[in-house]
Amino acid sequence: MKIDKMLAIVAVSALAVACAPGSSEAPAAQPTGPVRTGAPAEKVTLSLVSTPESGAAIKAVIAAFQAKHPNITINYTDTNYDDYNKSLNLSLTSDQAPDIALLNSVGTTVKDGLVRSLAAYEKAYGWDKTYPSTQLAQWRVAADGSTLGSGDLYAAPAGFSLVGVYYNKAKAAKLGITAPPATLADFESALAKAKAAGELPLQLGNAQGHAAFTVQLIGQSQDGAENAAKWTFGHKGASFDTAGNRSGAQKLLDWAQKGYLPKDANGVDLQGAVTKFTQGEGVFFIDGNWDAAKIGDGLKAEAGFFAFPGAKATAIGTSVAYAISAKSESPDAAAAFLDFLHSPEASAEEFKAGFMPADPAAAEPETDTVMADIVAAWTKVNTDDGLVGFNNNATATMNDKLTAATQELIGGKSDPAGFITAIQDEWAKTHG
Amino acid sequence: MADTAVLPARRVGRETAAPPRRRRRGRLTPLLYVLPALIFYAAFVIVPWVHSLWISLWEWNGIGVATWAGLANYIEVFTDSALRSSLVHAFGFIVFYSVLPIGIGLVLAALVAATPWKAMPLIRTILFLPQILPLVAVGVIWKWIYSADGPLGLDSSWLGDFALAYPAVGLVGTWVSTGLCFLLLLSGIGKIEPSLYEAAKVEGCGPIREFWHVTVPGLRKEIAVAATVTIIAALASFDVVYVMTGGGPGYTTMVPGVQIYQLVFTAGRVGAACALATVLSLLTCAVMYGLNRLTRER
Repeated sequence: MKIDKMLAIVAVSALAVACAPGSSEAPAAQPTGPVRTGAPAEKVTLSLVSTPESGAAIKAVIAAFQAKHPNITINYTDTNYDDYNKSLNLSLTSDQAPDIALLNSVGTTVKDGLVRSLAAYEKAYGWDKTYPSTQLAQWRVAADGSTLGSGDLYAAPAGFSLVGVYYNKAKAAKLGITAPPATLADFESALAKAKAAGELPLQLGNAQGHAAFTVQLIGQSQDGAENAAKWTFGHKGASFDTAGNRSGAQKLLDWAQKGYLPKDANGVDLQGAVTKFTQGEGVFFIDGNWDAAKIGDGLKAEAGFFAFPGAKATAIGTSVAYAISAKSESPDAAAAFLDFLHSPEASAEEFKAGFMPADPAAAEPETDTVMADIVAAWTKVNTDDGLVGFNNNATATMNDKLTAATQELIGGKSDPAGFITAIQDEWAKTHG
Repeated sequence: MADTAVLPARRVGRETAAPPRRRRRGRLTPLLYVLPALIFYAAFVIVPWVHSLWISLWEWNGIGVATWAGLANYIEVFTDSALRSSLVHAFGFIVFYSVLPIGIGLVLAALVAATPWKAMPLIRTILFLPQILPLVAVGVIWKWIYSADGPLGLDSSWLGDFALAYPAVGLVGTWVSTGLCFLLLLSGIGKIEPSLYEAAKVEGCGPIREFWHVTVPGLRKEIAVAATVTIIAALASFDVVYVMTGGGPGYTTMVPGVQIYQLVFTAGRVGAACALATVLSLLTCAVMYGLNRLTRER
């Protein structure tokens, strides 16, 4: 009888699940008809989801937008960064899907038909003329749903992040470094000088894999932004095995072995490293503008920033961008809000919150602050068309892979060739 | 451990004279008693488990269209070196989560039982404290302790060191489990016949022989319970590793729990995650079966 009962239970539960998990059909085709520009005149309520970091600015932007269009209400909610990324797809498929959602990366949102193509709105509003092409490229998705850089636009940028090199001006001056290094060789000799003077040359926290920035910056400064972006965007036939990346991996290993990096870099996370840098530990520090406020508060006038040295200015950067949910019932109103994101009011709010505005002219930092340096670097990178998306976003799992692989490289558990192969193999699982 | 509802022993023979209808009802009545528990157990344990078995046969990102994968996910679990090594790490944790705590707990319990102290309630509380802390908090605390600016005054963080990270994380498991094992074993010692100890003394046993020949055999059941609970904790470990190292440096502390989480939420590979989870649960069951055989009273 016991066996009978168990069999019965198994049979019942098997019946309950005997169909393919998930939706059985491919996502519904996207609507393609004509679209309306400008905010609609009737009463509309939209919901917007974001993360606290990006949301600080967007709340102010919403307020400015609502002041202009009193008939449109935008309800704002936020979730912390990790949880947000992990739950976004589920919330976009749910019945309570938000109208407008922050995208930190494209992921599978396009493949699964969760967000709406903005091609029609882009044309109607002329976004392709408003933004430099590299600023929109990372939100263009090809028909396969995973190759980035060309195809329909799926999100509109609100503000930009930028990864470059922070430095401690006081310590640098003591070492006789008065201007930011102009070449990789200059940068290396500055690191050597710092080491000789008993300073920590390059602050780094790699518990979450941020050494990947160093490899990417060295790599793209030699390979050129355009070539580097091909790999980041997943173009067929691209390879991580380039002269630049090989040099990047080799330099990271050399620097670890020469003691240019903290000994326990693998055990310290990014915020730990930021804290140490603001406490005067380290002459240089590779990080993004999102930590500008903390570093500026800590080091005051001693905080400086420059784009990674190279023949042309290149930087790792991405935009916080907002997409319209495929389930939204008021896409026209949502698009009107997305168009507002590059307005002078919105740009000013984004800059206040630490993001680079689409239009560098909208950034008016106080002179002689780290923000002024960052804006200068941002302008230079845009002039040279040198912005490349994060290698960490090249595939869904690339961040985990880069974390483990850079830890192994720094820890002397692998060599540059092994590192390059591991990264390329991971990439090929998605884009190969 | 929720499935220990036992059918009452049938009174065979006494009801042989009763009419068939009554006997039938008599047989079904006990079932009625376990029905509520059974419904919950089926709804929240058995059905989800079978469902995850089913999903493990598909390649599915949790949202989109699923494609049939057959046993491909299982083949991957056993051939992918990263997945396999995470299983090895989990079994290695048994040393830290079970063997060490039971060993330490045995010695402590024997010492405390032999010399009753006034401060006993305080000692018990302190030793048991790690058990009642949320494991996430435990992870955060120990991450700080092992860091270069922690109270140990370490030269550099142990969690970033390829050789030290694994034992460092494992020792947190020891710290958490020891209190539980100690209390379980201490209460067990109280139930051992005092005459056995007296007999041992008469026979001229020293404290060490007394420990091996009276205390340890007398605690067989308690040791089995402690081993069951802590081995399951070792194999299913997630919180502490996730908070402290996320599986790093490299993959030195990667365990199936973290891997399953990453497969679902980062890689979007729900099928592969379910396959790994199924393999882990089957291995856990196998270990529990072996443990039961070992500790069963002869």
